[in-house]
Amino acid sequence: MVTKVMQIILSPVLALIVGVFFLGLARKIMARIHWRYGPPLVQPVIDMIRLFYQKSVSHGRMFDLGIILSLAGSIVVVLILPFGQMCPLSSSGGLLVILYIMLLAPLGLALSGGQGANPNISIGISRKLILSLGYEVPLLLVLLAVMTRYKTISIVEVVNAQQSTGWSIISWPLFLSGLSYFLILPAILGIRPFDVSSAPQEISSGAMVEYGGKYLALVTIEHAFALFISIALFVNLFLGGAANPIIFFAKMLVVFVLGLFIHAVFPRFRIEQAIKYLWKWPTLLAFLGLIITLAIRS
Amino acid sequence: MSLELVLIAAFGGALLTYFLGKTSAKVRNFLAVAISLVLVVFVAYLYGKPLEKTFYFGFFDLGLVLRLNMLSWFFAITIAVVGTLSIIFSLSYIRAREKNDFYFLMMLLVNAAMLGIVLAGDLVSFYIFWEIMSWSAFLLISYNRGPALAAGMKYIIMSVIGSLCFLVGMLSLYVSFDTLNISQIASAITSASSGYILFILTSFGITFGIKNAVLPFHTWLPDAHSEAPAPFSAVLSGVLIKMGTYGFLLILYVIVGLKLFLGLGSGIFSFHSVLCLLGAITILIPTFIAMLQTDAKRLLAWSTVGQAGYIILGIAFGTNLALAGGIFHFFNHSLFKALLFLAVGAVEFRTQTRDLDSLGGLAKKMPVVFIATLVGICALIGVPLTSGFVSKWLIYKTLILEGSPFLAFFALVGTWGTILYSYKLIHNVFLGQLPEKYKDIRKSPFSMQLPMIVLSLAILVFGILPGIPLKVINAIGISFGFESLNVSLWGIASETGTLNTINIFSVVLVAAVLLWLLFRLGAKSVSISQEDSYAAGAHTPADKYHYTVEFYNPLHRMIRPFLRDVIDEFYYWIAASVQRLSDSVRRVYAGDVGYYVMYIILFLAFLIFVQLKWKPW
Repeated sequence: MVTKVMQIILSPVLALIVGVFFLGLARKIMARIHWRYGPPLVQPVIDMIRLFYQKSVSHGRMFDLGIILSLAGSIVVVLILPFGQMCPLSSSGGLLVILYIMLLAPLGLALSGGQGANPNISIGISRKLILSLGYEVPLLLVLLAVMTRYKTISIVEVVNAQQSTGWSIISWPLFLSGLSYFLILPAILGIRPFDVSSAPQEISSGAMVEYGGKYLALVTIEHAFALFISIALFVNLFLGGAANPIIFFAKMLVVFVLGLFIHAVFPRFRIEQAIKYLWKWPTLLAFLGLIITLAIRS
Repeated sequence: MSLELVLIAAFGGALLTYFLGKTSAKVRNFLAVAISLVLVVFVAYLYGKPLEKTFYFGFFDLGLVLRLNMLSWFFAITIAVVGTLSIIFSLSYIRAREKNDFYFLMMLLVNAAMLGIVLAGDLVSFYIFWEIMSWSAFLLISYNRGPALAAGMKYIIMSVIGSLCFLVGMLSLYVSFDTLNISQIASAITSASSGYILFILTSFGITFGIKNAVLPFHTWLPDAHSEAPAPFSAVLSGVLIKMGTYGFLLILYVIVGLKLFLGLGSGIFSFHSVLCLLGAITILIPTFIAMLQTDAKRLLAWSTVGQAGYIILGIAFGTNLALAGGIFHFFNHSLFKALLFLAVGAVEFRTQTRDLDSLGGLAKKMPVVFIATLVGICALIGVPLTSGFVSKWLIYKTLILEGSPFLAFFALVGTWGTILYSYKLIHNVFLGQLPEKYKDIRKSPFSMQLPMIVLSLAILVFGILPGIPLKVINAIGISFGFESLNVSLWGIASETGTLNTINIFSVVLVAAVLLWLLFRLGAKSVSISQEDSYAAGAHTPADKYHYTVEFYNPLHRMIRPFLRDVIDEFYYWIAASVQRLSDSVRRVYAGDVGYYVMYIILFLAFLIFVQLKWKPW
C-alpha cells in the first residue's frame, strides 16, 4: 500500500523531470545542428519559474479550468502507463482507457484556447484536430494489431509478453506496424514536418498565442507530459518496455533524439499534405500489419 | 398496480390535457408535467415485477396482451424520464407559439404510444401502438410548417413502408404459427426452417432499420430531426428512434433467440455479420457527413445516425459484453443526445438561430447551457468519467478480443471523427468572440435549465458509477440466455482487462484540486475583454472576429467529394419516377366526360374490329 502511494506520487514527478529534460535537450541539440551554442539544459526550468511569477491575462473561467483539466488528464495517463516496472494504476483499465484519457489533455487545451477568442487559436485547434484525425487512422490500426497479436487490451500484459518473446518491432508480424508507428511519431509529437498546429510564423503559435505568465508555465508542463506520454507509449508497445526506469529512460532518449533529427532538417507540410502522407504510407503499412497479425492468429 | 393503469393514465392524461387546455393554459401545463411525472413514478414502482396479462380477447380471437420484463422496464423508464424532461423544457419553449394544446397532446401521445410499444406482449398491440407513435411523430415533425412539412412527409412515407414490412412479417407469422403472442411465437419458431427465419428477420429488420436509421434507411432522419421543435427533437433522437433498437432486441433475442440468430448462414454471409457490417458503416459515413454541417441540429442529427450504428453493432455482435455495451449505449445516447438537442434548443430560443457560422461566445452569457453542452459532447465522444465511455469501452473491448479488429477500427475512427464535429459544435456556439448583436442576451429560463441539469448529473453519475444501469442490463442479458457479467458498482472485472472508473475519478479529482492550488499560487492574472487579443501585428476587424465558417476547411475539401448522400438521391429518383408515371396515368383520366366517351367508343370500335377480323366470339 505504501509503495503504491509512493509510486503514485513519484511517477508524475519522474515523468515531469524526463519531459522537461527532453525540452531542454531539444533546444540544445537543435542549436548544435544549426551551428549555435544553444541555451543551458535547465533553461526550461528557469523559464517556468520566472513565468510563474509574471503578470498574465485571463479570458474567463474556462480559459483557466481548461488547462487544469488538461494537466489532470495527462497525470492520469502517466499513472496508467508502465514506466519500467512502475505502474501504480495498471488495474484501472488498459490500452483503450489510455487512448481515451489521452483525449482529456488536447480537449482541455482546446476548450481553454477556444475561450481565448483569438482566430489564431481557432485555426491552430482546427489544424490540430484535423492532424489528429490524420494520425489516429494509422495509429488505431497499429494499436489494434498489437492488441490482436497479444490477445489483451492491458498494456501491462503487452509489456510482460515482450519480456519473454522479444521486442514487438523486431518480431515479424508486428514489424510493419512498428514501422508505421515510427513514421507517424513526429505527427503525434507535433514536431516538424507536422508542426502545422503551432506554426509560429503563420499563426503565432496557434493555440498558445493568448497564454502568458503562469498559463504559459502550465502549458509548458503539459507539453513536457505530452512528450513523455507519446514516447513512453511507443517504448512500451514496441521496444519491450523495460525492467527498470533507467533502461526505460535510455530507450526513450534514443527514440526522442531520432525524432529530433527529423525535426531539425525537414520543412513544414501544409495540412493537406500532412493528411495525404499520413493516410497513404503509414496507413498502408499499418493495414498490412493488421491483416498479417489477424492471419497468423486464426 | 397493473399495466393497464399505466397506459390508461398515459393516454387518458393526454386527452384530458388537451381538453383542459381549452379552458386554461396554466392548468394544461401543470397537468402535462404532472401526468408525465406520475408515469415516471408508476414505471419506477414496477421495477423487478415481471407481469403478463391478457386484457382483451375480442380481436379475431387473438388475445391482446400486456407484459413487463426487465427489457421493457428499462426502455419504459428511459421513455418516461426523457419524455418528462422534454415536456418541462417545452413549457417556456413553446409558450410563444400557437396551438399549444395540440402540441402537448401530441407530445403526451407519443410518450404514451412508446410506453405501449414496450409493454405490448403480442404483435397486434405492438403494431397499434407503433402506428399511433409514427403518426403523432409525423404531426409533431411538421409542427413548424414550411420546410418541416417536407421533412414530415419524407418521414411518414418511409415509416409507412416500414409498417407494411411489419404487416407482412406479422401476417406470415400468424399463418405459420396461428398465434401472435410474442412468447408463444418464440417457443414455436425453433422448429422453423432457416430460410423462413431469414425472411422474418429481413422483413422486421427493414421496419426497425428504418426507425433506427440504419444505413441505407437513414435518409428521413437528418431532415426530421433538424426541422422538429427542439424538445421533440430530443424525444425523437433520444427515445423514439430507439424503438427500432427495442424492435431489434425483440426480434433477434426474444423471438428468434440467440442460437438461431447466430447460426443463420456462415462466415461473412451470415445475417449476424451483415448486420454488424451495416452497423459499422452506419458509424463511419454519417460521422464524416456531420463534420460538414452548418446547422447545429442537423449536425446532431447526423451524429444520431452515427451513434445508432454503435448500438446496432453492439446488439448484432452477439456476445454478452457487446450486448451490454449496445444496450448501455442506447441508454447513454438517450441521455446525452436529449441533452444536446435541448441545449441547442435553448440557444435557438434566445438567439432565433442555430446557424453555426453566425453564433459564438455564448459561454459567458449562458453558462448553464454551456456546461450542459460540454457534458453532452464529452459523453458523445466517450471521455472517461461520462457514461458514454463505459458503453463504448464495452463494445471496443469485445470486438478486439473476439478477433474483429476491423469492426473495432470503424468504431474507433468514428469516435475520432466525433471529436471533430463535437468540438465544432461547442466552439462555434459557445467559445470565441461574442457577436455584437448577442451582447444583451439573457440566461435561459429555469424550466429550460432544470432538464439540462438533471441530464448532465445523470451522465456524470452513471459515468462514475456505471454499475447502476449495468445491473439492469446484466439482468436483460441473462434473460436472453447470455452468461452473467461480473459487474461491480464502479466497473467491470474480467480476466482480460478490467475497468475501474472510481480510481480514474479520484485521481482526476485529486490532481485537479492540487493543480488548482498551484494555479492559485502563481502571480494573479488580469481579466481582459475579448477584443484585447494578440494578433501578431495584423489588422483586427471591428465586429466579427471569430474563425467559424468552414471550420475544418482543408479536411472539407478533401472529403466532400466522397460524401454525397447517394442513397438519398436514389430515393428521390424513385419518388420522381413514380411521380412521372402517375402523372402520365393522370393524363388519361382527364376528368372531362368527352374523353371518357371517346375511350368507350374507341374500345367498342376495337372489339368490333377484332370480331370482324378474327371472329373469336
